[in-house]
Amino acid sequence: MQEKEAQWLTNIYRDTFPQVAATVHRLGGNLDTARDLFHDALVIYLEKRRNNTLDIRVSVKAYLTGIVKILWVRKFKQDSRQRPLDNMEEQLGIPEDFYAPAPERATRLLHYLQAAGRKCLQLLQAFYYEQRSMQEIARQFHFRTARSATVQKYKCLEKVREQVKNAEKYEEAIA
Amino acid sequence: MHEIQEIDQYILREMSVEDQLVFQARMLSCRDLQEKAAHQLQAHALVRRFAREAQREKLAAIYARLWETDAAFRSEITAIFQ
Repeated sequence: MQEKEAQWLTNIYRDTFPQVAATVHRLGGNLDTARDLFHDALVIYLEKRRNNTLDIRVSVKAYLTGIVKILWVRKFKQDSRQRPLDNMEEQLGIPEDFYAPAPERATRLLHYLQAAGRKCLQLLQAFYYEQRSMQEIARQFHFRTARSATVQKYKCLEKVREQVKNAEKYEEAIA
Repeated sequence: MHEIQEIDQYILREMSVEDQLVFQARMLSCRDLQEKAAHQLQAHALVRRFAREAQREKLAAIYARLWETDAAFRSEITAIFQ
């Protein structure tokens, strides 16, 4: 199943990236920018597909290219009056927190969390982001039952919540 | 576990409207619960951020593999940025 999904994603990548790259090039961007924006667009597309909130009336290729154009405008803070987006942004429905600038604090915390509990984060990711069932998660992470995986999930969430709280306290102390 | 689970249900909107109102009223009268809910919401945001980073890493690996193994892809891309 995962292999099929990986192949499907590779096919989309192969079919779409050249068009996206040409679009970004026309806008004045380089290969690195094209790749970064395309990856962001794919992340948005995959999230919406997973959440069943994907409402597209165009091809996947056109949808991804549309998102890339919006991300380009956002990234380079161009005046949207000069580059009309034809309500595209609204139609494509980019997640609200996607543009949130990576605040230094979140980035620092993330690095710390990655080092401290990668397994925990992977488990949380599987449930909250990939929206897998607890049975599936129990199998993947080698828990005996879905119930024990659920208990571990909450322990992990509590751990992350504690890190957030401690980071806040630390920042208050040094402010 | 009950409290963290309950906060999760609130955050994920898995509560009935009545339960949401009761929960909000409890938060108003209990600063500790309010803080825990706020931190838990941020924890969810961090998990999303982590997951997005992990997804970007997978996509970078796909690009690298295509670049290495698919000569037509490589030349198409190279021609665009020449």
